[in-house]
Amino acid sequence: MASNIPPPNSRNHRACIICSIILPQTHFINSGCPNCESFLNLAGSPENVQVCTSQVYSGGISLADPSASWVARWQRLDGYVPGVYAVKVEGQLPDDVLQTMEDSGVRYMPRDGSAINEDL
Amino acid sequence: MSALYNQDFGSGTESDDDDFNPAPPVESDNEDAGNGSDDQSRSAREPSKVDDDDEDVAAPRPSRFSKSASPVVREADDEDEEREERDTKDVDEDDEDRGGDAAEGDDDEEDDDEDGDEEDDVVAGRPRKRRRRDPRLQFIDEEAEVDDEEDEDEIEEDDIGDEPHPDDNLELNLGGVDDDRHHRQLDRQRDLMASLDAEKQAEEWRQKYGKQSRMAMDDVVVPQRLLLPTVDDPSIWAVRCREGKEKEVVLSVMRRWDSRLNTREPIPLISAFSRGDLMAGHIYIEARRQDDVFLATDGLQDCYPRSKCMLIPINEMPGLLRVQKSKSLEPGMYVRIKRGLYAGDLAQVEEVETNGLEVQLRLIPRLNYGITEDPNAPAGDAKRKRFGVKKGPTAASRPPQRLFSEHEARKKNAKYLGAAKGLQRNAISYMNDTYIDGFLLKDFKLQHIQTENVNPTLEEVTKFAAGAEDGTENLDLQAIAATLKATQDASSYASGDIVEIYQGEQSGLVGKVATVHGDIVSLDIMEGGKPGMRIDAPVKDLRKKFVEGDHVKVIGGSKYHDEAGMVVRIIKDRVTLLTDSNSQEITVFSKDLRKAADSGVSTVSSKYDLYDLVQLDATTVACVIKADRESIRVLDQNGSVRTLLPSSISNKIDRRRNAVATDREGSEIRTDDTVKEYSGEQKQGSVLHIHRNNLFCQNRTQAENAGVFVVRSLNVTTVAAKGGRVNAGPDLSKMNPALQRNGSPNGAPMMPPPRTMGRDRMIGQTVSIRKGPHKGLLGIVKDATDTMARVELHTKSKTVSVSKDMLLIRDSESGKALPRAGAGGFGRTPIRYGNTPSRVPDGAWSGSRTPAGAGGGQTPAWGMRSAGDIPAWKRHDGGMTPSPWNSSSRTPAYSRDDGGRTAYAREDGGRTAYARDDGGRTAYGGSGGSGGSWGASSRTPHGAHGFSSSNTWNDGSRTPAYNSGSRTPAPHHASTPGVTAPTPGDSAPTPGDGIGYTPAISAPTPGDHYNDRYGAPTPSDRYSAATPADHFNAPTPAAPADHPTPRYGQTPAVGAPTPGAYAAPTPGAYGAPTPGVFAAETPGGWGGAGSPDDDPRYE
Repeated sequence: MASNIPPPNSRNHRACIICSIILPQTHFINSGCPNCESFLNLAGSPENVQVCTSQVYSGGISLADPSASWVARWQRLDGYVPGVYAVKVEGQLPDDVLQTMEDSGVRYMPRDGSAINEDL
Repeated sequence: MSALYNQDFGSGTESDDDDFNPAPPVESDNEDAGNGSDDQSRSAREPSKVDDDDEDVAAPRPSRFSKSASPVVREADDEDEEREERDTKDVDEDDEDRGGDAAEGDDDEEDDDEDGDEEDDVVAGRPRKRRRRDPRLQFIDEEAEVDDEEDEDEIEEDDIGDEPHPDDNLELNLGGVDDDRHHRQLDRQRDLMASLDAEKQAEEWRQKYGKQSRMAMDDVVVPQRLLLPTVDDPSIWAVRCREGKEKEVVLSVMRRWDSRLNTREPIPLISAFSRGDLMAGHIYIEARRQDDVFLATDGLQDCYPRSKCMLIPINEMPGLLRVQKSKSLEPGMYVRIKRGLYAGDLAQVEEVETNGLEVQLRLIPRLNYGITEDPNAPAGDAKRKRFGVKKGPTAASRPPQRLFSEHEARKKNAKYLGAAKGLQRNAISYMNDTYIDGFLLKDFKLQHIQTENVNPTLEEVTKFAAGAEDGTENLDLQAIAATLKATQDASSYASGDIVEIYQGEQSGLVGKVATVHGDIVSLDIMEGGKPGMRIDAPVKDLRKKFVEGDHVKVIGGSKYHDEAGMVVRIIKDRVTLLTDSNSQEITVFSKDLRKAADSGVSTVSSKYDLYDLVQLDATTVACVIKADRESIRVLDQNGSVRTLLPSSISNKIDRRRNAVATDREGSEIRTDDTVKEYSGEQKQGSVLHIHRNNLFCQNRTQAENAGVFVVRSLNVTTVAAKGGRVNAGPDLSKMNPALQRNGSPNGAPMMPPPRTMGRDRMIGQTVSIRKGPHKGLLGIVKDATDTMARVELHTKSKTVSVSKDMLLIRDSESGKALPRAGAGGFGRTPIRYGNTPSRVPDGAWSGSRTPAGAGGGQTPAWGMRSAGDIPAWKRHDGGMTPSPWNSSSRTPAYSRDDGGRTAYAREDGGRTAYARDDGGRTAYGGSGGSGGSWGASSRTPHGAHGFSSSNTWNDGSRTPAYNSGSRTPAPHHASTPGVTAPTPGDSAPTPGDGIGYTPAISAPTPGDHYNDRYGAPTPSDRYSAATPADHFNAPTPAAPADHPTPRYGQTPAVGAPTPGAYAAPTPGAYGAPTPGVFAAETPGGWGGAGSPDDDPRYE
């Protein structure tokens, strides 16, 4: 669990563009994204990490109990591991990653604010 | 599904085919029919049940479900409608679930289909058999039975394992009707179960099969609005924390939670979050109870839970997490760099990386081309430095923005220079950066650039604009617009503006702004909706509404600020107007417009006006030929026209009215003169400005450049001088500073206006007015200028301004008129005359000069008071003339003494000079004497005062000429420090020498003069011919002006042989040091020098 909590030094932290979890870049490279690894295959691939995570994010959500949290629900983080998530992540995924996600039955919700306002 | 029952059909009778056919139509609509068919299948299936068991667990279920899906769904739908309102979403979800399930079951189905084809023949046989057995009962019975059993079915679990054992089936089969019923019952049960619990099943299925991917859950997108918080959700508390530390606090909350996670007292935290900059100073804790919040945050650094812990109302919760889409970058937009060398600089987006996180920017490089680099530093050093020390110059000492210059780069750092890779033309690589057209192209990360509130100024933007090949500026207004658009704020709306709501729910409403509050504008509706109703609308939904024909004024934002005009076209929020000032069509955003209350054109434009002379750089001046608000068109001194920003003009040069230039004929040119080009186009115009050799002239008949053209002054002739000034060739007298100092021969004042120093002495004096309306009145001078005095009259308490000329100073006690030696020049002249009648002729002589002399009289007055040397120039300026008289006027004897001494000095010329050097008075006396000497020389007969001079004349044998000559320079010597210092200085040594050495000779030997032996070398020649010419000429501008002139030429001719020669040297000597004086009189003097009676002439 602790492994999903980023160290306080926020340098080189990146946020996963898909699930918005904030982790050090090295963590992404070494162990991948705890939520999205199944289809992103970040571990061991700095290139993928570069593409699928972003340094430009804002806000921070420390999510301790994803199932009970309204915040998690609102941010569509329910079902993810406890950890620190960004509120907003800038960046666009390349098409091939989007395709991969689709193939694995994952619906991508952009986290840069472009999708959410339409509903409200 | 039927695939499973293949074997069955093998055992089934083939003859059923015929009867089966009628059944399907029924089947499609009727449940029973469906059941019937199911029954068939059931019956067919039974024998195979044993074999199929294993498959039943996995495959059959989905397949069956999917097969029965359509009827089931229909049922489910009906039920849904009846059910208490359940969200349609759920239905969708169901659909999707099914879809998903169907997908999962696809393989099976396909198999089924394939098999089904084979089956068909076989399957067809069964119904007939059944019908034969119990054709009608089938339907009726079933209905009843099923209804009865439904309740049971619902209670029963859906398990497939409930299927009758194959053995039982066999038995049932044997049992006939019962058997069939059971089958149908079972099928119905399943169907119902499926239909009623479709959701539940879907859920189960999902759990069972959908777990392959965690993300599969997200496959179902719940609209955000359905996620709004409810009362059952945990509450959110806002907790204060130190600004800027939000993220750290949130992280430490998380760490604390984590560290206590598996202990006996875990923190019941649900989540904590911060919004960074958006809600600075706050973090938010989601928890069930407030105590939990304290548990989570108490004692954390930078977090102050106890100070202010607010519960966030439920309806505000979503707002906390609202995310605004940040503006997406597009090529051409302007951004600013946040940090580094280019911090704050404007840059243009050239290219955006696909992930949107990196952009290539075009910016103006700040390079120093290695000027500060140490060329002697070892090569490895630089490399080491790059890692260790700060890279690049700091922002404080950064080089200025300048376009890249290949030339400069090559000078010092040629090794870093090279053609950039890629196909782009003239791309240069330098120090690992790429430069195109002088711009630097560089990749920046998104977090290092500022995209909001860029607010580029037009000035900055124009630097980027001049990119076109032909040098024309191509300002991309669209790009600027894109950048500026987001910066719309409420300040551009004022009450009374007519606005329209152009987006949002209320779009189409038109109203008049009542109040503006923050970003919310209240408006009274005028059109659409209820007129008169007041509604609030956010600024972003508004735009100002104008109609064609409105007279509007540009109030901000654009470069057309303050332009006014008439609206001619409106496209969305872009308004085109025809400006009042120059009838151009300009397009601006409606938000930048306001209805103009006045129709007047405000002409507040540039700070430079048309025809102003401005300085462009140290060597270039230009004349403004067009002054716009943002740009200025100038014609520079080289005749080229350029358009500049006002900021690139260093300053304005005030028009110098008295600037003078010379045309090709030597005539002087002043401003406003009309000149004509001598060659070339022979343009004619009046002179606007004179700048060195360049004349900026204006010809009103010429259209181009506002009629302004620039010519060299030597290339024009004066056509008409302003004010009818006569320009007959060069006026040499004007060029003669000496003349200008001493006055011109034609009667112009010879002296510079006397300068009063300190308080005017007249103030406080009792005066009587001699002339004018107040003649005879007595008063006290209250204030005075050079020429005027304010006199407070004694008679009536009134203060009048009177010319000083008209005042007579009286003793305040006695009322007697006072001589005013020192006070001002005016009173003195008469006094002088009065006192020294003998001098009168002199005064008359210098009649024209008298007033000046009088004025100058002042000079010696104080000159005498101060050291005698100082006023030297005054004396030269004619001050000298009166001065002796002044002194002598007071003490004629004195001057005589002086004269005596002078006489004495005659014996010892050198010492005389010294004597004069000593003591200002003596010197003056001396000069008085000497002045007398010339004064007398000019006006021979009156030896009375200037006796030395009279001596000169009277006593030629004594060669006063020498003495005077020697003496003359002596005072001049004494007066060396003065303005004319060079003159006397030069003259002094000459005569000094001449006197110091020669006097010994010359003094005793006037004859020498006559002999011409000495005279030739010493006095006459030296003074009259050689000396003055050489000595005085060469060093002193004053002298040359005079001496070369005919006067001197004459002098030797006359002076050398004749007694006039004495006169000649004498004035010559004088002439040398005090050229002006002599310039004035010499010709005349010398014309008549030979004859002693030239008095009348002078007088």
